Amino acid sequence: MRLSIFRFDPDRDERPYMQDFEIELAPTDRMLLDVILRIRTLDDSLAVRKSCREGVCGSDAMNINGRNGLACVTPVAGLAEPVVLRPLPGFPVIRDLVVDMTRFFAQYDSIKPYLQNDEPPTGKERLQSPRDRARLDGLYECILCACCTSQCPSYWWNPEKFVGPAGLLQACRFIVDSRDRATAQRLDDLDDAYRLFRCRTIMNCTEVCPKGLAPSRAIEAIRSAMTRRPR
Amino acid sequence: MVKRGPSGWLAWIVQRASALYMLAFLVAGLLWFLVDPPGSHPAWRARMAGAGTGIATAAFFAALLAHAWVGLRDVVLDYVRPRSLCGPVLAGLGLGLVAVAAWVLRILVTVRT
Ligand code: SF4
Ligand code: SF4
Ligand code: FES
Repeated sequence: MRLSIFRFDPDRDERPYMQDFEIELAPTDRMLLDVILRIRTLDDSLAVRKSCREGVCGSDAMNINGRNGLACVTPVAGLAEPVVLRPLPGFPVIRDLVVDMTRFFAQYDSIKPYLQNDEPPTGKERLQSPRDRARLDGLYECILCACCTSQCPSYWWNPEKFVGPAGLLQACRFIVDSRDRATAQRLDDLDDAYRLFRCRTIMNCTEVCPKGLAPSRAIEAIRSAMTRRPR
Repeated sequence: MVKRGPSGWLAWIVQRASALYMLAFLVAGLLWFLVDPPGSHPAWRARMAGAGTGIATAAFFAALLAHAWVGLRDVVLDYVRPRSLCGPVLAGLGLGLVAVAAWVLRILVTVRT
């Protein structure tokens, strides 16, 4: 398999370059990450992040042949060659395929990703009806891999002001939660020209999410919650 | 909580509502034109001078300008850098749209006299 991988080591390289690799596929090379890890045994200077190797931790998000995805759940079969690997677009590169996620997590933090409810719990825990619980489906599964946010043109233009699809999907997860009592503040916080409304419904986010989630639909749900809120 | 700075939801709903109104206006206007074509220029003028048509047309241009404002504002907020230039550019565009509004108003008023 032929690959062309983005290389950049700020301590050594003046500018980034693409390095070609050719490697014989082994029967155990099922997913792209398997191949990348074997390349690393040939060239241990190649920097990548990974952890779970099964699409759960969100560490190995990268741009694969122009499209963001998780290397560990991208089957080798069917990849056009040379497989072009680049770091997540729109994120500052630390080294090779490793990007700086600071701004991404700062946006996540800004939506207050935790339940807010000061009422004393009536029993041992705050219960939900099965219907209320079902409203969290399609939202709670997000692994914060940043595939969506990094593929969003609106985020490229305004990364420090637009929350981005991942953060907005998480915001929606708390806005629709029947146990949360901060809905009004959450909606107010998103109601300016940037935090939510830079979204142009380009829908790249939904197109690339490796978990099959639909941030654009969550964004739509927040807009309609704003429209329905009492004024 | 009152937020300062360019609005989010308000601008968004104005953009949607104005688009819907413009669509309805254009479809209704075209249908009227097809079903009952004004045969001559005086007949066309008389139609445009009616109070109902005047108000609907004025509302159309109000919707058009509001729609254009939100669209232009989005382009400026996305692309004009450094950000400190956004304010002056928006002020210039706003003045331009106000001038267009005054011009439209003048035309609509002269049609009626
Ligand atoms: S919504 Fe999907 S693509 Fe975006 S961070 Fe969550 S899991 Fe990743
Ligand atoms: S739908 Fe919105 S958030 Fe998703 S990629 Fe498009 S602009 Fe970005
Ligand atoms: S290594 Fe954990 S998601 Fe790929």
